[in-house]
Amino acid sequence: MAILSPRMKNWLEGLGGHIATANKQGIPLVVVTTSAEIINDENVRFPLSTQQVDYIKDNIDENPIVAIGIGGIGSIRAAYQFKGIANLESNQLSVNITEIYCTKPGPEAGLRLDILPLESVIKFEETRWKDNGPPK
Amino acid sequence: MILNQEIRKALQTVGGGGSVVYLTTASKEGIPNIVGERFVSVFRNEYIFIAEMFAQKTRVNIHENPHGVITMVHPLRGRTWTFTGPITILQEGYPDDYVWEGLKASDALDEWGNWALKEPPSEVPPDIRPPVLVQRGIIALKVDSITSFDPDSVGKSL
Repeated sequence: MAILSPRMKNWLEGLGGHIATANKQGIPLVVVTTSAEIINDENVRFPLSTQQVDYIKDNIDENPIVAIGIGGIGSIRAAYQFKGIANLESNQLSVNITEIYCTKPGPEAGLRLDILPLESVIKFEETRWKDNGPPK
Repeated sequence: MILNQEIRKALQTVGGGGSVVYLTTASKEGIPNIVGERFVSVFRNEYIFIAEMFAQKTRVNIHENPHGVITMVHPLRGRTWTFTGPITILQEGYPDDYVWEGLKASDALDEWGNWALKEPPSEVPPDIRPPVLVQRGIIALKVDSITSFDPDSVGKSL
């Protein structure tokens, strides 16, 4: 179980993400959304077009593991990678987040955040970034 | 596949925050990995280069499953591009005549082996700049296809 921090939720909700899928042979496909709906501390839902659903459906059926990076300026300002188990429900991709990594360049790249207590994650964020979400 | 001038320009933006892309790889079992990359360039109109700065999981994935996907982040403005193709890591230590997908490793490293010197990240704000730009090599993707990631035409060849 991975808990999203308030900052992570704000960035995901505001800018959506680049969602990477792969088939069992490891061939990746990526879809991009510009928003997301935060369901709760560990579940996020991304709205998809019908074409996006068709594009990744086979991959999700075969291999529901996805990796997500926050879209737009979040790719740099909110350097997280989320991994999780995805499920297509009509035109929405629901993702249960299972792992969270820091992807800030430098020695902290790859630091796993979901194994830290939430208070520690929030403190980590506060000492590295000044914002608590994307610019309005 | 030859990258046209518009693509080359967008992937080599200097100033204004530079170009940003997401690089997606996957393990051989199919576990995807996606990382934002700031140090991006185009080489000889058919390869996209990214500075390899100790991205551990990406490195493992590329070695065991050399398929890469690059999606455009900045500058976007309708540039909903997805680049797909074989991917490798070039670094010092290869024989001088080592060639990958038509690309001589020494040529690539001579030009982009020291990114900090060639294109210093002086414009990157301190809070998102790596403390020290330590480069181990070059991630090279040979572009085999370019498709759209626009939600209404995703996968469409461009």
